[in-house]
Amino acid sequence: MLAVEFRNVTKKFKQVVIAQEMNLRIREGRFSVIFGAPGAGKSTLLRLITGLDKPDQGEIFLRGVDVGKVSAADRNIGYVPQSFALYPHYSVFDNIAYPLRLMGVRKQDCVPVVEQVARQLQITHLLKKKPDQCSGGEKQRVAIARGIVKDTKIFILDDPLTGLDFKLRERLFDDLRQMREDLGATFIYTTSDPLESLILAEDIHVLDAGKIVESGETDALYAHPQHVRTMELLGFPNTNVFPGTLDDGTRVASQGLRFALAASGSAAKAGDVRIAVRPQNIRINPEFRDGLLVVPADVTLVEDLGGELHVYLEVEKTPLEALIPNAGIESLTEGKATIGIQPGDLKVYSASTGQFIGQGVA
Amino acid sequence: MNRARGWRKTAYHVLLWVIALIFFAPILWIIMGAFKTTDGILAVPPQFVFVPTLDNFVDLFNRPNVLRYLGNSILMSSASVGIAIVVAFLAAYAFSRFKPRGTSFLMFMLLSIRMVPAVAVVIPVSLMYSALQWKDTYFGMIMIYAMFSIPFSVWILKGFVDGVSQRYDETALINGGSRWHIIFRVILPQVAPGLVAAFIFNLIFVWNEFLFSLILGGRDTTSIPVSFSTDLYSDGGVDWTFTASMATVYMIPPILSILFFQKYLLVGMTFGTVRGEV
Repeated sequence: MLAVEFRNVTKKFKQVVIAQEMNLRIREGRFSVIFGAPGAGKSTLLRLITGLDKPDQGEIFLRGVDVGKVSAADRNIGYVPQSFALYPHYSVFDNIAYPLRLMGVRKQDCVPVVEQVARQLQITHLLKKKPDQCSGGEKQRVAIARGIVKDTKIFILDDPLTGLDFKLRERLFDDLRQMREDLGATFIYTTSDPLESLILAEDIHVLDAGKIVESGETDALYAHPQHVRTMELLGFPNTNVFPGTLDDGTRVASQGLRFALAASGSAAKAGDVRIAVRPQNIRINPEFRDGLLVVPADVTLVEDLGGELHVYLEVEKTPLEALIPNAGIESLTEGKATIGIQPGDLKVYSASTGQFIGQGVA
Repeated sequence: MNRARGWRKTAYHVLLWVIALIFFAPILWIIMGAFKTTDGILAVPPQFVFVPTLDNFVDLFNRPNVLRYLGNSILMSSASVGIAIVVAFLAAYAFSRFKPRGTSFLMFMLLSIRMVPAVAVVIPVSLMYSALQWKDTYFGMIMIYAMFSIPFSVWILKGFVDGVSQRYDETALINGGSRWHIIFRVILPQVAPGLVAAFIFNLIFVWNEFLFSLILGGRDTTSIPVSFSTDLYSDGGVDWTFTASMATVYMIPPILSILFFQKYLLVGMTFGTVRGEV
């Protein structure tokens, strides 16, 4: 069963199209991440699911039910907003109990439920405090506790870890994954952080310019992205994407690189293409060049990340980024270098549709 | 260096005290006058050491209409400002959250209304009140003061409501809260300082209002400011003991309300749009 389904949903604000004939299928009982760059339309998508906004066209189904005429209150969704939005005039206990109280649960009946959720998130000691007496991480836990206290099947978390330091986020990653397993519910989580998406998600839905460009299980989506925006955005650092041309459907040329194409289908037509290669797949001054495409490059900047070097390059004025093991290269400095790429690591996408065409072969 | 800074600070404080005392002197004079005899009030040079008497207050409250004046002022100011705050809060919420078409123009108009000189309005309003037979009625007086208090209150309160993130509304809506629940249980507690600030600013305005009270009011609705003009003279001269004791009593409610709500008022004056206006 699908937890959420969008069928050709369009949403405009003052003639500006925010969501364009969007189709989305979120599987039930999965940790689904809606991933997209800032401004891609994540908040609009969530507002449409929660019922805070209505679509101009199209249909939205929650667990198989058309919710076109169902109000936000009646959709029974657990919600963790982006900013904590904890009510400052309520105690932590009252904040967590808030959704239950609105459902008409008596205060004494809320106590065991709130205490159980508080134990789960290790915030029992905060229950009597006011939100302004809590630290940022504690507030976030309280906000998550309030979001999951309801007995429901769909939980929405709107970029809830933004602004928290990495250690705290790491701890909350574990908590969130564990909570989803315990609750057996669908978690819909939005973020613009590729690492967060890859760590948390079972399924990822890539949103770009108001459209879901690709959906799939995390590993498959990372390994075989079928859309250039997925390839470009889902990974750290962002994937290198640069223009090229496809001659007669078999050979690709771009900025000093020339390679044969193994087309994924029969649709490879001559014309402009986008070529993508992950920074991890670029080697600098490789010792063994067998099977590699080798081109000269200029190293413009080297950032030492400890275990890795983040290298900024230029190949015939096209900027590229590479991520290489720190131990792999001795005294890499700005200046001339050569880079090597396995042809199979070069993915080719249509310049017009962004769809995957094929990848390089030796 | 430190000594120079210390000197400058001391001089600054002395200057502030001198200015404060200059402005406070007339108030001190009238309060001291309330505890003096007529001769004591008019003595030259002024007496700073004297035997205080409460006779002026006994006389004041033995006058037939004084309690009615006081009651009228309290009733008209608290009722009109109370109504204004409720209406203004709802309007501020609507302007802030629903942003109806022409919000900026409407907000500008609200502020403009407040800038129209009272004398330009008082005659047409008086004619309207005569036609409606609202002159010298509590309803009529409360309505006119509420009308005057609403625009400024909307301005203050919209700034406060704007300062409360819409995420609070959305969290409540998704969890099943109604708009009324959001307005009164979610937003109102967070804008309480603004409500108190708006209430006190308007209370002081209505409490001090003279012109409309004189023109639209009458025997039944005489307020304290008007009573100064009607009861000021006796035996062919200014009744200084009445003036001093009435003025002293007149000052008590606003001072008490400011003292009582000082905490909120200070927050109110440094928050939302009030920051630029006070």
